Amino acid sequence: MKKYSYTYQFIILLVACLFYSCEEMVDLDPPANQLVRQEVFKSEATVESAMTGIYYQLFQLEYSNGGRSSITTMAGLSADNIQTISTGNVSRMQFQEHEIDPDNIENLSIWSSAYNMIYAVNSFLEGLQNADNLEQSFKNQMEGQARFVRAFTYFYLTNLYGDVPLILKTDYRENQLASRTSQIDIYDQILADLIMAEEQVPEEYWNTERTSINKQVVRAFLSRVYLYSENWQEAEKFSSLVINDTGNYGLLEDLDEVFLANSAEAIWQISPIGAGGLSTQTNEGNFQIIDPIFSFFAAIKLEEPFIAEFDSIDKRFQNWVGYNEALDAHYVHKYKVRLSNQFPIEEYSMVLRLGEQYLIRAESRLEQGDLAGALQDVDEIRLRSGLQPFAEIKPEISEMELFEEILLQRRKELFSEWGHRWFDLKRTGQAGQVLGEDPSWNTTDLLYPIPESERKKNPNLTQNEGY
Amino acid sequence: MKNNYSRLKWVALIIIGGILFFLASAANAATTAPLPLQQQEISGVVQDQNGIPIPGVTVTVKNTDRGTITNLDGEYNITAPANGILVFSYIGYKTVEILVDNNEEISIQLEEDVSALGEVKINAGYYNTTRRESTGNISRVTAEEIENQPVVSPIQALQGRMAGVEIISGGANPGGAPTIRIRGTNSLRSEGNYPLYIIDGVPVSSVPVESNSVLSNSGIDPLNNLNPANIESVEVLKDADATAIYGSRGANGVVLITTKNGSNRGLEARIYTGSSSIAEKLDLLNTPQYLQVRREAFQNDGVEPDNFNAYDLVLWDQERYTDWQDLFFGGQAEVTNASLAISGGEGNTTYRIGGSVFSQGTIYPGDYDYRKGTSNLALNHLSKDNLFEVKLHVNYGIDQNNLTGTNGLNPANILLPPNAPSVFNDDGSLNWEDWSEAGLSNPMEGYFNTTSTQTRNLNANLVLSYEIVSGLRLKSSFGYANFTSDELWKLPIRSYAPASNPVNRSSHLSTNRKSWIIEPQLTYDQNFGKLETHFLIGGTLQKNGSDRSSFQGQGYASESLIGDLGSAESIINASSGQAEYKYVALFSRIGLNWDQKYFLNLTGRRDGSSRFGTNNRFASFGAIGAAWILSEESFFGKVDSFLSFAKLRGSYGSTGNDQIGDYGYLDAYQATVGPGGLYPVALANPDYSWEVNKKLELATELGFLKDKLNIGVSWYRNRSSNQLVGYSLPYIAGFNSVQANLPATVQNKGLEIELATINFSNDRFSWRTNLNLSFPENKLLRYPDIDQSSYSNTYRVGEPLNIALLYDYTGLDPETGLYTVRDVNDDGNLSFEDQIITKNLNREFFGGLSNSLRYGNFNLEFLLQYVKQEGRLSEFQAGTNSNVLDVALGNEDFQRYSASYEASIAFIDAVNSDFSFTDASFLRLKTLSMGYNLPMRWTKRLHADQIRLFIHGQNLLTWTPYEGLDPELPTSAISMGNLRSVTAGLQLNF
Repeated sequence: MKKYSYTYQFIILLVACLFYSCEEMVDLDPPANQLVRQEVFKSEATVESAMTGIYYQLFQLEYSNGGRSSITTMAGLSADNIQTISTGNVSRMQFQEHEIDPDNIENLSIWSSAYNMIYAVNSFLEGLQNADNLEQSFKNQMEGQARFVRAFTYFYLTNLYGDVPLILKTDYRENQLASRTSQIDIYDQILADLIMAEEQVPEEYWNTERTSINKQVVRAFLSRVYLYSENWQEAEKFSSLVINDTGNYGLLEDLDEVFLANSAEAIWQISPIGAGGLSTQTNEGNFQIIDPIFSFFAAIKLEEPFIAEFDSIDKRFQNWVGYNEALDAHYVHKYKVRLSNQFPIEEYSMVLRLGEQYLIRAESRLEQGDLAGALQDVDEIRLRSGLQPFAEIKPEISEMELFEEILLQRRKELFSEWGHRWFDLKRTGQAGQVLGEDPSWNTTDLLYPIPESERKKNPNLTQNEGY
Repeated sequence: MKNNYSRLKWVALIIIGGILFFLASAANAATTAPLPLQQQEISGVVQDQNGIPIPGVTVTVKNTDRGTITNLDGEYNITAPANGILVFSYIGYKTVEILVDNNEEISIQLEEDVSALGEVKINAGYYNTTRRESTGNISRVTAEEIENQPVVSPIQALQGRMAGVEIISGGANPGGAPTIRIRGTNSLRSEGNYPLYIIDGVPVSSVPVESNSVLSNSGIDPLNNLNPANIESVEVLKDADATAIYGSRGANGVVLITTKNGSNRGLEARIYTGSSSIAEKLDLLNTPQYLQVRREAFQNDGVEPDNFNAYDLVLWDQERYTDWQDLFFGGQAEVTNASLAISGGEGNTTYRIGGSVFSQGTIYPGDYDYRKGTSNLALNHLSKDNLFEVKLHVNYGIDQNNLTGTNGLNPANILLPPNAPSVFNDDGSLNWEDWSEAGLSNPMEGYFNTTSTQTRNLNANLVLSYEIVSGLRLKSSFGYANFTSDELWKLPIRSYAPASNPVNRSSHLSTNRKSWIIEPQLTYDQNFGKLETHFLIGGTLQKNGSDRSSFQGQGYASESLIGDLGSAESIINASSGQAEYKYVALFSRIGLNWDQKYFLNLTGRRDGSSRFGTNNRFASFGAIGAAWILSEESFFGKVDSFLSFAKLRGSYGSTGNDQIGDYGYLDAYQATVGPGGLYPVALANPDYSWEVNKKLELATELGFLKDKLNIGVSWYRNRSSNQLVGYSLPYIAGFNSVQANLPATVQNKGLEIELATINFSNDRFSWRTNLNLSFPENKLLRYPDIDQSSYSNTYRVGEPLNIALLYDYTGLDPETGLYTVRDVNDDGNLSFEDQIITKNLNREFFGGLSNSLRYGNFNLEFLLQYVKQEGRLSEFQAGTNSNVLDVALGNEDFQRYSASYEASIAFIDAVNSDFSFTDASFLRLKTLSMGYNLPMRWTKRLHADQIRLFIHGQNLLTWTPYEGLDPELPTSAISMGNLRSVTAGLQLNF
């Protein structure tokens, strides 16, 4: 019997140790390449890393990367500056033809990447909120930068899609069934975030590079948001704050230098370092430039009627427009580097620059009846482009004429940057008149469709009219 | 956290210590054991009724694991207790039990038994059973059926051989992981449907290994490094009775692989060689046909062909013809295998040592190949007093897979226009000029890229067991598995267009998987009169670790330096990841048997897995199985000439599924590609828990005509609830999925029929037939509030999971000549709301029919595989700049030839309608092998026991109405799967 008692002892031992410490036996540390969110927000260094991660992802995410699926490209195709070279790419053609299918994958990638960024920002803001052991001033600076990125992203979402779900928290249980919020409320949120950010962010760029958010970046963007909401006074005020900061910003004489990293004209840029260093060109440079010999890589070109608008002495035509003989096509040549793996990185992807601020101020001055002030701002741009100032050649310009001139200058100055032309046509009500010749044009084409797969998964999402 | 881990170590040590303590104390006890335990050596000869010795008869000591096999002269040697019982069993003969009764020589004659059921031992994982006594559903495939198949993965060799087991080839490249599904799809996630693989008691991950090579879709099969010729048997556990003892890992079935041990003494050598090629070719248009279609298309569209829209008509040579299928995929893949094994031993110690080499080429142009070398060792030792037993199995394998590193060798290139320019220049370099004229890049961009993947796999298992007193046995199994994979992808400059400014690059990927497992167990077998009892209790401690790292090197000065990191200008994109998985369990089994008539089997397991949030880590699983052998009842005696065996059995129980990514409950950030950034990884859900799979089975097994005809019919119903999925979310939530339990029930129901007959059997001629048929049915049974969920437009309650939602095809538009589909809600747009047709993408039924014939020294075996299913075919868009199947030529069911945008849209709509579906059923001669044993007088002269010549064919013939390359993958005409192989070889036994 003695042997049996050993056996029972063993069983008891086995059972006991399994039950006693089972709980802990299946406990794990997180893997070495991941940090739990609470850990991230325990030290300044990791919080800065998380903010850096947000800036990096702007270069990776489709909506903001400037590349083939970006807002720059897709909204560009919807307007009248650029077009596709071949008709083979159906999803791109749909943007150009204003016949976007709700299941268009490019449309989905803009939407999904924008909301991925919004999640990252919301996660960052929630993390900061619970980070009790960090200095308040540090937390403010970080919070402001994140808020800016959120406002910036919602600005594009609402201008592309109209009413969009307003997601400000990370809880997917609520978010997955969110319905659309009116554009007015989205704008309220954008302004709330930006006004808060303007208080919170530092005066200086974070690391001397123009790739982080400082006060002037927020102001420059505020001036655009006020322009779009036709709050002319505020738009003028904020653009003036930036323009008057002549110690930091100025228009460059040599147009080939505008898009260089940290150029004097740059207010905010996104660095290609976000791609990890495998290649160091911008996505714009890679996608927009047509190689002189191997043109088959090219996908888009400038539209000829737009080229015809340029005066031949216009430096923007000379410096920013390229020509490929094989395809007999003009192409965007603002960025000069098509392929590179060199350091230091030569060009950064431009998001906000001083040229736009002059044109914003011109328009808001004009709308407030300050024709002279408006003329002065337009002439800054004309002069820099090698054109004669209106003050000399056409001092008696009418209000109407000047408005048209401002729009034209915006078109020539900002083409192939972040869909400016498409948004200008929409907000000034000229889209129908300019694009209406296209037989497939409908007024409902002003808004892109809510991606079909999103509506499949969220029954509360309504579709825009016309889709 | 570190403390907990060290506690785990402590627990392991305590258990091991406990075992050693036991061994010591029990060994002590053994010396004073009473006489009945006295062991003695027994020898003898086993003969058939005609007095001819039978080699290969299994001789075991009843109720132990101890056993041996008779040699060629029918002789055996075994040690057994003086009062023990010897069991003699051999396929085709009746099993005999003989009491030792102090005899030192026991020679017997076995009586032929035409029963196909036999009494062969079946591995049920933690215990053994027999087909006759089993209460669960276990399918078994033995060495003879797999050893000569020229396939890399042993899983691939099982195709068509088991009811309820569906295996789909991993593609035409050597080393790709096949897909295996046991009784259907239980989980909504493909990675949630892998079965549990256990090699000699050691669980190995069945998840395919990540690769950047052309195997990236299927992944690399983790079983590649096993030698199919060293596998003794593969058992697949299917129902609750068989799988519940595996608890949370048994939901998708269990595949038990047992490698050979040293029971066959002698030397065994085998070599075969042959070649494989693609089995079918698509019937595509030739140049005149293709160009004619294109011209008509432009005429139909009223468009003038020009350089841009019709380079094939305007720029390219109108006479040129290239058979792209032949050029890219027309190669012969040589395959060679050689293996050698030596087994032997003295008295209580036996061993088997073996090794093999295998090599296979590819069907691509260029110098690619797959090679593997394996080695294996099996050691069995029994102590002098026969109480202590040691078993060691070690398998080690290395393989090297050199493959093309480009997607250019992609089946889609089959559809290039037949008059397209050459992809190569005369000097062998890539031709960029001719293609760039048309504004195209060379489709073979990347042609000179190569990948080489080396994997190493070690699998070791040690079992110590000690019989404490008669019937009570303490056993512990220690397992270790280590799998590593290193991949180098070379991307030289000459693979890319000079305009893209290429540099020499390399991409490196390493993965490592390690696991150890300790399973102490106690078994107790005792008979009380007519009641036979088996008890088992055990525990599992398991830890798996896996890590991966990848990076890229670029800027090598020359192509020959690629991969030498010291020569790289920069190293970038480094990333690494680790995951750990810990698992503990307590399991037990009670097996009861009354008078060999009534069987009851109770199994259970309590499990804890680290894959879940802290509140949900533990759960219990269990099953009950019962069987009744009616033919043992006295009332059966009268009819026994016709119905010779009858058994009813049934089982019910629950198993779980914890196959979901590790750490899903963590709200975590990880490093960005850019240096020094952090970014959220995924959405986190701290609350998710087990997926539960409840299995019910009812079956009958009948033997007719003295068991010459055996039929087994099983009906099963498995219900998976609490579905653990990457729950699909709209992107507005930040990511499009989160790991969560789904409030849904998926049902897999079906009927399996297995038929085994001995059509004829005598000394010179025998013919056996096996048939298996499976009728699976998959259904989403319940989903509360599906309309409110994110799945509202993906799944349909009452339909299978694997469905396509399609437009209703309404024929050709008489005016435009284009396809039309129904706009159901009449809103003028086509959207998901109009996709009202549901198409079941599962197999309707499938089966295998194998025949094995022997006449004198010749034998012939073949397996026919049949699948009834529908498939999709869409390679018929005639008029665009890509080639099409020749059925599209002048076919009035198809829309007019057109290259227009409208036609493309109409075509896409038609592809997304029921129009693109077609019958993809097939009947395939899966394997055919013929063998010839040289007559004894010749072999004796060569001092050999057996010399055998064989030829083997794989996928020789396929009958199917499907127009694509392989109906096994009926998702598109160009998906490539099985190769056709013919090999011939020689086997020598000394």
